Amino acid sequence: MAKLEIKNLHAEVEGNKILRGVNLTINGGETHAIMGPNGTGKSTLASVVMGHPKYTVTEGEILLDGDNVLDMDVDERARAGLFLGMQAPAEVPGVTNSDFIKTAMNARLEEGKKVKLFSFIKEYDKAVQDLKMNDDLPHRYLNEGFSGGEKKRNEILQMKMLKPKFAILDEIDSGLDVDALKIVGENVTGMKSDDLGLLLITHYQRLLDYISADRVHVMMKGRLVKSGGMDIIERIDSEGYDWIKQEVGIEDERVLPKEDEERTVLGTCATKEALDL
Amino acid sequence: MIHYTKNPLIDDSIPENIQPLIDEDITQFLILKDGHIIGQSVDHIEGVYIENFDEALSQKRDLIETLDNEHNNPADSYQYVKDNATSGLVIHVTKNTVVDDTLHVFVVQEEHDLVHNTIVVCDDNTELNYIEYYVNNNPASNNIVTQSFVGENARLSYTTVNQFDQKSVLNIIRNGRVKRYGELTYNIAEVSDALSDVTTNVQLIEPYAKSYVKTVAITNQQQEARFEQLVEHLAHHTEGYIENYGVSSDTSALVFEGIGKIHKHMKQSVARQQNRGIVLSRKARLDANPLLLIDEYDVIASHGAAIGKIDEEQLYYLMSRGLSKRNAERLIINGFLSPVLDALDSDALKSVFVNSVERKTQDL
Ligand SMILES: Nc1ncnc2c1ncn2[C@@H]1O[C@H](COP(=O)(O)OP(=O)(O)O)[C@@H](O)[C@H]1O
Ligand SMILES: [Mg+2]
Repeated sequence: MAKLEIKNLHAEVEGNKILRGVNLTINGGETHAIMGPNGTGKSTLASVVMGHPKYTVTEGEILLDGDNVLDMDVDERARAGLFLGMQAPAEVPGVTNSDFIKTAMNARLEEGKKVKLFSFIKEYDKAVQDLKMNDDLPHRYLNEGFSGGEKKRNEILQMKMLKPKFAILDEIDSGLDVDALKIVGENVTGMKSDDLGLLLITHYQRLLDYISADRVHVMMKGRLVKSGGMDIIERIDSEGYDWIKQEVGIEDERVLPKEDEERTVLGTCATKEALDL
Repeated sequence: MIHYTKNPLIDDSIPENIQPLIDEDITQFLILKDGHIIGQSVDHIEGVYIENFDEALSQKRDLIETLDNEHNNPADSYQYVKDNATSGLVIHVTKNTVVDDTLHVFVVQEEHDLVHNTIVVCDDNTELNYIEYYVNNNPASNNIVTQSFVGENARLSYTTVNQFDQKSVLNIIRNGRVKRYGELTYNIAEVSDALSDVTTNVQLIEPYAKSYVKTVAITNQQQEARFEQLVEHLAHHTEGYIENYGVSSDTSALVFEGIGKIHKHMKQSVARQQNRGIVLSRKARLDANPLLLIDEYDVIASHGAAIGKIDEEQLYYLMSRGLSKRNAERLIINGFLSPVLDALDSDALKSVFVNSVERKTQDL
């Protein structure tokens, strides 16, 4: 059975320590959920597992079926079976959704082999319908001009086509109205199998009304501070996070103090505009 | 006076790099080699006159001279082509003619330096979608002038793909004039390896005239290329849009100089310009110097330039789905260049473009 192990993971971004010792094991067929307020390191964990170049792992390991994931490039991780449904997927002008996913599927085949066009189109069209997206999706440019909800559905659509072994879905519920949430929930639930390990990241319990989780973890200050069953979610839903903070003995659950966070956000915008050479 | 000298044609066969492009996608085409028509399917297009330059000069000299005087371009290279043309074409779409199928013209340099002049005249109420592909088969100095006249309420889409080799030198001047409610679109795909100096001038001479000038250019190795686009607003209520997309790699240098010029009293005119660039290596250069010269208050104008490396977030996103870095970069670059790629309506020509992009960015 497939197994994803995260052991004592520490990671930094732009000189700030964000992850401070994350331990988590997911077996094929299991669904885990990570909850936690904003700024506690959830997306950072997802990015580090996928291999985003901005993040540096300073300690710990990630193993996929015993293989060292940290040794692999981003694309190798994907081909090894990891998938990340991103909180804020990039827009890529000029690249159509169908060309993109076709190229991604071809990348999984042996050198020189290609997916059969006809069956690809059939499968893609079906996925578009399952997610109740517009027919013109294949010809539209990748996420360009998409609403928040469309982007999230497009992530799930890609997951359907790529059939990963482990999928991390980062706030796949944010920006979705109730109808869309239901569609996404049904589609993800429909993909559940003994061959798929799922990690849902969210800070609303409502996602878990549609996709049930076997285990729930709470993240604060860059660590998983509490783990348990669905009962944790009910309590968070009615009481918020204060009781967990008290249990753990912290006042501010964020990894970085608030001012820092605002500054970093500004910083990223500025560098995007700047001429990098 | 316009002069024309005929060079002898050594070999009238269709070159290997053109043959595969003449497929079922292309119904209307003409192939010109060293100034001679060596293949065509355009004998009878209702309302359209197409002739070799020497033929046209004897049949339509007055029209050609009159239009030529209007342009009055002071550049030396312009005068040079007027005096020394050895290759050329005149296309005249007569009043009220809408040409349904795209007209493809292939201009081949084989034995002689290319001194070429294309004149496209679209009379009032006409429509033409014109695509030309230039290629050289032997190192040469290439001087090209093209002139477009867009009449009242006429529409001309002028798409051009150039592929000149590294040992060649390329100088192109394109002039366009647009009348009332006319619309002129240039889609310029520059995938040459030659040292290039390319100028596109558009004059919006009557109210409500409109023009789009889109250029994509890729430079590599030690190539240097300079592209100037000048859109002049010579009447009120005119609109001019300039879009430049550049990719430079290795130690090449690519420069865009876009100029929107609104003269005094040309009220309610719109001049917009956008420059985007991807620099693929540390030693490559890419400069955009957008300029607005505006002598009137009541106008809308904007310009911008965004130049940088390949977007790291885009790259990460594509790779996170399993694409190799190289494939991800390839897809992003082709996507980036799609504003002009999309104008090529034959798959064969699209793949010429894509393959050239591939070739010119292979050393990433
Ligand atoms: N790419 C980045 N650049 C700078 N700071 C970052 C980056 N990613 C995350 N951070 C910082 O790390 C902390 C945790 O962020 P994140 O992992 O996005 O939290 P969550 O997903 O739990 O809301 C925040 O303080 C955030 O500002
Ligand atoms: Mg997050």
